[in-house]
Amino acid sequence: MTVQSIINKWNLFIDAFMNKGGYKEVVSGLVNTLIIALVALVLGIIIGTIIAAIEVSPKKGRFMRVLDRICTVYVAFFRGTPIVVQLLLGYFVILPLIGFSLSSVVVAIIIMGLNSGAYVSEIMRSGILSVDIGQMEAGRAMGLNYGTTMRKIIIPQAVKNILPTLGNELISLVKETSVVSFIGVVDLYKAFRTIGSSNYEYMMPFLVMAVIYIVLIMIITFALKMMERGLRASDKR
Amino acid sequence: MISVRNIYKNFGGLEVLKGVSLEIEKGEKVAIIGPSGSGKSTFLRCMNLLEEPTYGEIWLDGRLLTPADPYLHPEVIAASKTYQDMMMKKGEALPDGNAGKESEPDSEIIRKIKKDDLLKKHEGKVYKERLKDIEQENRMDVNLARQRVGMVFQHFNLFNNLTVMQNLTLAPVTLKLQTEEEATEKASELLKRIGLYEKKDEYPSKLSGGQKQRIAIVRSLVMNPEALLFDEPTSALDPEMVGEVLELIRELAEEGMTMVIVTHEMGFAREVATRVLFMDDGLIKEENAPEEFFGKPQHPRLQEFLSKVL
Repeated sequence: MTVQSIINKWNLFIDAFMNKGGYKEVVSGLVNTLIIALVALVLGIIIGTIIAAIEVSPKKGRFMRVLDRICTVYVAFFRGTPIVVQLLLGYFVILPLIGFSLSSVVVAIIIMGLNSGAYVSEIMRSGILSVDIGQMEAGRAMGLNYGTTMRKIIIPQAVKNILPTLGNELISLVKETSVVSFIGVVDLYKAFRTIGSSNYEYMMPFLVMAVIYIVLIMIITFALKMMERGLRASDKR
Repeated sequence: MISVRNIYKNFGGLEVLKGVSLEIEKGEKVAIIGPSGSGKSTFLRCMNLLEEPTYGEIWLDGRLLTPADPYLHPEVIAASKTYQDMMMKKGEALPDGNAGKESEPDSEIIRKIKKDDLLKKHEGKVYKERLKDIEQENRMDVNLARQRVGMVFQHFNLFNNLTVMQNLTLAPVTLKLQTEEEATEKASELLKRIGLYEKKDEYPSKLSGGQKQRIAIVRSLVMNPEALLFDEPTSALDPEMVGEVLELIRELAEEGMTMVIVTHEMGFAREVATRVLFMDDGLIKEENAPEEFFGKPQHPRLQEFLSKVL
């Protein structure tokens, strides 16, 4: 490939990006990607923490055992099927069945959140188990109940221990959002694809897309490092 | 005040406690000594239900903390199917059977049921109701009991994610026993008493073992407990830090705190305790005032133990 043809391709891309309104697509795609990933992560952490707390609790009584069983099925489903299948099921099967209409972005957030919850529950579980059993005993011995001790003592320490792994989860969520275009959401990938298809020149759009993803992940990694440092206040290091 | 009635504790197939009873009066200082693996820590942990006894009951000030144990209530066993079947059989064997008559439960049958642990299967409605009645009448929420009986652990177990001050105030404030201001004031007072007030904003990881343990002790004092349980409070400490922790415990003892101490510090037990127990193989083998206990030990196992550690 000659230098001239590469320059031509680049000019075509700039034309589509600047003059034909491609940048608007990219901005809204970027916003969607970030919103979906962040909200899904928050949702996933909430769901995952609840599941993990149920899984590590001493299972007394039928109620807790039923809850535990539900969690097992939940995790098995969301880890056992591809996320594309979950998105398609949610948008084209579940929604019409319950006769409810939601925007595709909201569906994407919910499905990604539920999916992430299944993974975060495993991460959180190992985090909770990494906290010394004496911490729970000390809380209980002072008359705090299981839930309160979990919330105030165990989970804060567990989260600190698993922060690097949770960061990985956020990073993989950002990257996984590229499948939400299956249900018609305009994300970063979809935006560049649209630019490419406006003049059938895909080389530059996809190259730039890759660079944007990398920069995005680098920014997130840096932010997570800063956060981790803040949380290490109670450590020896 | 604390009454332990014939408790057993099994971990899987391992029998750690084999029927231990103990009455602790207000103001008593009970020291428990014994070789490792004798069940003394498990026994202590049963007192605030960190371990749930397999059989037996724990009472605090006349309130039941554990589920009711049928074997401690012969009249309940008398209502069980097993008992009545056995009564019936016995009645048939006798020419003038008195089965079904209302009278004192037959102690021989009770003993046999207990020995072979025959109450495992379904025992009928009357039996279950009687057992439930006892619980309804006497049961106390274990979290409430734990607010009144503090515990100090071998490994301190200060909350690593909280500062010293937060460690002290978390439980009383969360449980709404004290306001934030009251708890902070009380905690400051206690920290000043042990000379660690300037550490109030430090995290536990910045403290020495002796400091951690003294803070753990005052953490349980913030709750204004009626009794304190000490689970080998000095075993995880460097030798030079043992003294400061024992000194604090001694002060509390002199102020009249009811306490149960599992310890390897014989000298300390002799000095501070009003009663010393020797546990071995899941049983209390000897129980006496400290002078007799250390001066004239009766049980051969205790004599052997003391000759090794003193």
